[in-house]
Order: sequence, then C-alpha cells, then structure tokens
Amino acid sequence: MKFIYKLCLVGLVFSLFTFNASAQTTKYKCLLQMSNYVGEEAYIVVSLINPKGEYEKTLYVMGPDKKWYKTIKEWHKFYSKKPANISAITGASVAGGDRSVTVFEIENAKINANYKLRFETAVEDKEYYVKDLEIPLTTASLSAKNDGTGFIRYVRFSAN
Amino acid sequence: MTISIWRYSHLALAVSSFLLLLLASVTGVILAFEPVAQKIQPYHTAGFEQASLAQTLPLLRSKYPGISELTVNHHQFVIIKGSDNKGENLEAYIDPQTGKILGTPEKQSEFFLWVTDLHRSLFIHETGRFIIGLTAFLLLLIAVSGTMLIIQRQRGIKRFFTRIVKENAAQYYHVVLGRLSLIPIILIAGTGTYLSLVRFEIIPPEKVATEVDFDAIKEEPRQEPASFAIFKNTLLSEVQSVEFPFSDDPEDYYTLKLKDREVAVNQLTGEILSEAKYPTAQLLTELSLDLHTGRTNIIWAIILAVASGNILFFIYSGFKISFRRRAKSIKNKYTLDESRFIILVGSENGNTFRFARAIQQQLIKHGQKPFLTELNNYTLYPQAEHLIILTATYGLGDPPTNAKRFVKLLQTTPQAQPVRYSVIGFGSHKYADFCKFAFEVNQMLSHQAWATPLLDMHTVNDRSPEEFSLWAEAWSQQAGIALAVLPELRKTQTKRFETLTVAANTCCENTEGTFLIRFQPKRKIKFTSGDLLAIYPANDHRERLYSIGLVQQELQVSVRLLPDGLGSGFLHRLKPGDTIPARIIKNDHFHFPKKATGVLMIANGTGIGPFLGMICQNSQQTPIHLYGGFRDRESCNLYKPFLEENKTAQRLTQLHLALSREGEKQYVSDLISRDADLVANLLATGGVIMICGSLAMQKDVTAILENICQTKLNQNISYYQSRSQLLTDCY
Repeated sequence: MKFIYKLCLVGLVFSLFTFNASAQTTKYKCLLQMSNYVGEEAYIVVSLINPKGEYEKTLYVMGPDKKWYKTIKEWHKFYSKKPANISAITGASVAGGDRSVTVFEIENAKINANYKLRFETAVEDKEYYVKDLEIPLTTASLSAKNDGTGFIRYVRFSAN
Repeated sequence: MTISIWRYSHLALAVSSFLLLLLASVTGVILAFEPVAQKIQPYHTAGFEQASLAQTLPLLRSKYPGISELTVNHHQFVIIKGSDNKGENLEAYIDPQTGKILGTPEKQSEFFLWVTDLHRSLFIHETGRFIIGLTAFLLLLIAVSGTMLIIQRQRGIKRFFTRIVKENAAQYYHVVLGRLSLIPIILIAGTGTYLSLVRFEIIPPEKVATEVDFDAIKEEPRQEPASFAIFKNTLLSEVQSVEFPFSDDPEDYYTLKLKDREVAVNQLTGEILSEAKYPTAQLLTELSLDLHTGRTNIIWAIILAVASGNILFFIYSGFKISFRRRAKSIKNKYTLDESRFIILVGSENGNTFRFARAIQQQLIKHGQKPFLTELNNYTLYPQAEHLIILTATYGLGDPPTNAKRFVKLLQTTPQAQPVRYSVIGFGSHKYADFCKFAFEVNQMLSHQAWATPLLDMHTVNDRSPEEFSLWAEAWSQQAGIALAVLPELRKTQTKRFETLTVAANTCCENTEGTFLIRFQPKRKIKFTSGDLLAIYPANDHRERLYSIGLVQQELQVSVRLLPDGLGSGFLHRLKPGDTIPARIIKNDHFHFPKKATGVLMIANGTGIGPFLGMICQNSQQTPIHLYGGFRDRESCNLYKPFLEENKTAQRLTQLHLALSREGEKQYVSDLISRDADLVANLLATGGVIMICGSLAMQKDVTAILENICQTKLNQNISYYQSRSQLLTDCY
C-alpha cells in the first residue's frame, strides 16, 4: 500500500513539473527611480503589451486605492473589461525622488517575441502618461537602464 | 449696538465656517485614532533605540539577499521590502536585532482612507482641498481672535491664565476649554494651513536628492559594511529609510534617508558619495504632518483628538452664547418721548437684560410707560421722571461694550427736568472689582444737577434673585409702584413670615419723633445687624423696610415717626406684648466686616440703628469710630447712654457727634472733612467705611470721600466701593 502511495506522489510531483515547464517564467527584479517632481505620490501600472499593441496582462500596480485607478485611463479600460485579481501584485504608490523595487514574473516565451513592457503613470491633479516608459521586451533592454519620459527617471531590471 | 472688532470677527469667522469645521473636527477626532491603533501593534522591539546601521544592515542583507529597502515608520517599527528566497515580493515588520520577521504590514484601512479623504478634500479633490485649507486658515483666525478676546476679558496677557469667573456654563467652559486647547488648536489650524499652502505650491516646494558622480566612484579600499564609519555612527532611530544597492555593481549604492538629510554611500568602500540636506520647507512639511496627524506620538494624537472634540463643543457653546446675546434684543411698547420710566442697561452678555425686561413688564402691567434701551443710547428723555440703570462691569472694572459711551453722553446731555434715579450694579464678588462701573455711574449721576437719587445704589451678586428683590422692594416703597419681580427671578426665594413679639418700645419717652422698638422673634432665627426687617402695616402688599440692629439677642429698629407715615405710625402704636407678622431679609452687603483693621461708621438720624447692634456685637473689639449726625442734643440722648456704656466696654473706640440745630450747627459731613486724614489712613490700611442714613447725607459724605480718595489716596472712590471698603445703606 505504502508503495502505491509513493508511486502516486511521485507521479503527482512529476506531472506538476511538466505543467510548470510548459509555461516557464522568470522573475525579474525591477528598480524604478522616480524623477524629483513635486506633488502627490504617483500611481504606476506595469503592463505587458502584445505585438498588436494591446494590453495582455497586468504585471504590477503601484498604488493601493482603487478610486484612483480610473486616472490611469488606458489601462483602466482594459482592466474594467477584463477584471483580474491584482491584490497579489499591488504595492505602494511612489513619491517624487523615491525609488521602488518590485518583482514581477514574465513568461520566457514572451521575451524577444515583439512584446513590450509599458509603464503608465498618473499623479493626482498632474499629468497622465500613457507611455511614461515603454520598452521592447528583449534580453537587451532587460539588462540596460531605460529612461522614462514623465515621472519616471529610469527603470532597471535584474533577473532574480 | 457696538461689539468689539475681535468679538465680531470671532463670531463672523465661526458662523462662516462652522459646518466645515464641524466636519473637519468629527473626521479629525476619528483620524486621531489611526496612529493610536497603529502604535499599539506589537512591532516595536526592545533593542531598537541602540541598534546602529553597522549591526542591522549587514545582518539583514545576509539574511534577506533580496532586500531592497528598509523603512522605519513613525511608530519606530522597522519594515523591510524586497524579494524572498523564492523571488516573491516580501514586505514585513522585522526585529532589527535578530532580523526575525514579526508580521506583515497591512494595507491602510479602507475606513481611515475614506475618512482621510473626506477630511482633506471632501471627496471633491482640488476644490475640496482648497475649501478645507481655507477652513484651516479660518480656524487659525478664530483661534487668534479668541486669544485676543481672552486677553481682553482677563485684562492683559499676564492675567491670561488667572481664574475665570463662572457666570454661566456655556460661556465658562467656552473660555476655560478655549484657553486649555488653544495651543493644540493653533497648531492644528496652523499646520493645516501650511500643508495647504505647500499643496497649492504657494509656499514653493523643493525637493533635493543626492547627485552622485558616477565617474568618481572608487572600488578600493574595500571594507565590510559592518565597519563603514557612516553605518557605525548612525542609529536606526535616526533613519527614515535605507535603500539598498540594486545590484553588486559599484555604481549601485546605499541611499540613507535620515531625518534631516539624504546620504549616498558607496557599497564597496563605505565612502560618502554625496550628501544633501533637506530644504527648510520640506522639514517644515514633515513637522507639520507630524503635528497635524499625531503620527509620531500617541499622546499627542490623543491631545489632538481631545482638541478636535473641543472644537465641536466650541461650536455648540459659541452658538449658545451668541443666541443668548441676541436674546437681549429690545422691544419697546412706548417711545422714548412719551415714557416716564427710562430703563438703561449695560450688559456684556445680555444677562442683565432679563432683569431689565422684568422691570419693564411690571411697569407696563401697572399702566406705566417704560422705555428700555442700552446705556450707549442715552439721550434726552422729555417725559422722564425715573431713571433705572442696570449695569454689569466688564474686565477690570470697565464698562460693558454697550455702555462705553455713556460716561461721555451723560456729561453732554443733561435732562431738562428733574429725574430721580436708581442704579443697580450686577457683578460677582469673585472679581476684584465688584460692580465698579455701576458705582462710577451712580457717582456721576450724583453730580448731575437734574438727578436725585430715589434709593441708595444696590448691587446684585451672581444674579442673586434675593438681592434683586431687595432692590425691587426698596424701589417699590419709594416709587409707590409695586414691582412684583418675575417668578423666575425669585424662584429660590420663599417668603417666610416670622412672628415677632414687641419687647420694648421707647415711643412714649421721646416727643421729637424718634424711637427705638425691640422685638423678640417667636422662633429662633438667624439674623444679624444690617439685615432688614420687612413689615406689612396695612396687611396688604405694602411693605416697609427697616434696618435691624441685633441688641442683646433682640431685634431692634430705630424709627422716626413721620406725620402720615404708614410704617412708622404702625410701629409707634405697638405696645410690649403685641405680635406682628414680619419678614427678615438678609442684607449681606451691609454686614459688619469680618476682617477689617478698623471701621468708620457714619450715620444720621435713625440711620444709627444697625450700628447700635454692630457695636454691641463687637466682641473682638475692632476699632470703631462712630460719626453721628442729629438735630439736637435731645434727639441723640436716646442713644447716648447705650453708646457711652459700649465705649467703656471698649466695643466703641471713638464717638463724634454733630448737631445741626444746636451749638456749632454742624453736619456729620463736616466732621468727615475735619478728619480727612483719619479717613484716608483707614482706607489705605484696609479699613471699612459704613454709611447709613438719609440719601442727602450720603450724597454730601460721598462727595467728601470722593475728594479724599482723589487727593490723598490717588484712587477713584469706586475703587473702594468695588472692594467693599465703602458700604452704604441709605434711604
């Protein structure tokens, strides 16, 4: 009997492994350095954009209060159409001059496959940047320093 | 009516902002509990105060290789952020000594987020923030004008924290609590205003950050982070946050955000790469937030909650006070041109108006034409026969706001016809200057040729219904109009009749008309010399008052028989053994002083009555100088044996007699002029002068005393009157 159990357990572990292998992901540590702007803390959403230029997945949300999500307009359209549970990938908003280090998971298959990473920012009563920073999801850009155009000064990654 | 600019602004500001203040205070009280709720969480660790960065940072970095940031929050809880061994996001409270995870920070409660939002922007974003900022500024102005009002009320900054007299609950607590919560409220309002100014960039905001010259970054000499000088010298408690180097690259560095500056530290050598001090504006913003939210100190948070709660009370009590002031609006049935009775009121808070209206209504009830107005409106009254002045005193013996102009008006506006006046001072003995302004008004009227006193001035302590009734009774007797003061004013008074048996009556011995009559109360009652005996000669509402002397346990009154005197005739007819119903009225203001270096008694005619009792009761042998004025030797013979006897027993020190129709033909006032030095010395050393007798005598004597006070003591006579050093009971 014991043997049968063990066999089942091994089988279970094996099947999990194979399932994992089918959608292999890598975790990236992302350093986001804000510019020295003055004002409220920024709400920032990091999204995966597919080759057609559409939102595919929300990778990270910096900003805890749902009430402000509508100010990140473009992403909010996608989010309201396809609501997802984002509580695990939600963190604090980021003030001017501060930095934020977060971790998000990207499927290996999406890298070097014409996907893009978009950093969308909004600050209460200030500007909203759809593409504060948008970078091609390539091995090269994931190892470089990428400068933002709005509230973000730069973003850097390191594989975890 | 005029009200001071501070009071006007205080009220106007409060009225214009009270709804918003109400909202801000309620939400403020709630929000004060957020830091309290946070602080009581168990994430504070014992070794926190001693921990230095040299101990903590290497420990944390080895234990959590993925650490990106360390934060010390306002409650001195240490939080780390980064990723754990599995690469998952990590955020946790830790013990800085051991690196052990204590708990996970929770997201800010939805409820507090909601309340915070309401508190600072009313859910309408920028417009709301502006409105709230303005409200904070108005609150600051309210606090400032309130401070000015307290200074005004207490007469000077030095007396700011001296005792406040309790007149009515709303007002008393408005002032007392106002004084106590002044500092927190000014801080709440000031910081709120400042934060709004920063928010709207009216105070130019600045942000500094360390600028690192990457070309100058060195890799040698390498050191262990535990031996970096900056880490060794910096305690965790001085830190707001530490950003760890993002990678091992030498270009990545530590950023220490301390309380007053930001420091960038080379991760290999421990060298300080750059340092930036925070600008003052930023430090002030932080300080303002600390003070406004109470986030750093639980006790301060509670103080803020209490202060916010007080604002709610101020809104309530402030409106109550205002409505009471409004309630004094004056309604007149008759015009000032047709009125015989002019009632003038000086009142700061409107309390005195209740009494004035009671008089007005009574007069109207009796078919008379009264006219009620404020002292400041004093003018010519063509039909006036009676002037009744009711006035309070404000601050240190000053006129109330609505009576400030009266003194000047009185000088410039003499009435054309003779008018009889009566002054009632309202005040509290808790203040040093009891009824000072009323005394001054009375004094000034006595100098007016057209004015004759109907009564001696009366005072009412703490709105005592008894004392007011006493005035009403005296006035009724003189004016011949029965003023039954309103039931609400005499609520506490119960008319209690005593039965008195006549013990002796000297009426038969003296032809001239002055006699002494003694009574024995049937019941044991407490009274003393100076109290009043009210009798009802015709057994109706008509009442007659006599000043009592307590002599050998008996109640003695000194009476002058008048040709058609209702009271005197009645008393004159009484025989020993007769009984009469009567009332004994306490008359506290004319009691023998408990503490006095000496007492100077001035009387004429039957006014000596209460003094006879006081002398007889002077067992402690307080020095007493008695100045008595009589017509002739015969009329004073009635008292002479008694006085000589007491002089021998040392209950009376000096006796001075003035006879107006014999010998030198002197009046008692002449004796006072003669002894001016004695009088001045007595007043200066805390002695008391008591005057009892006719109003004419009182007028003469007061004029002399006034002169003595001014020339020898350099004080106004009202100074001594208001300090109970000059007591009068004249008729």
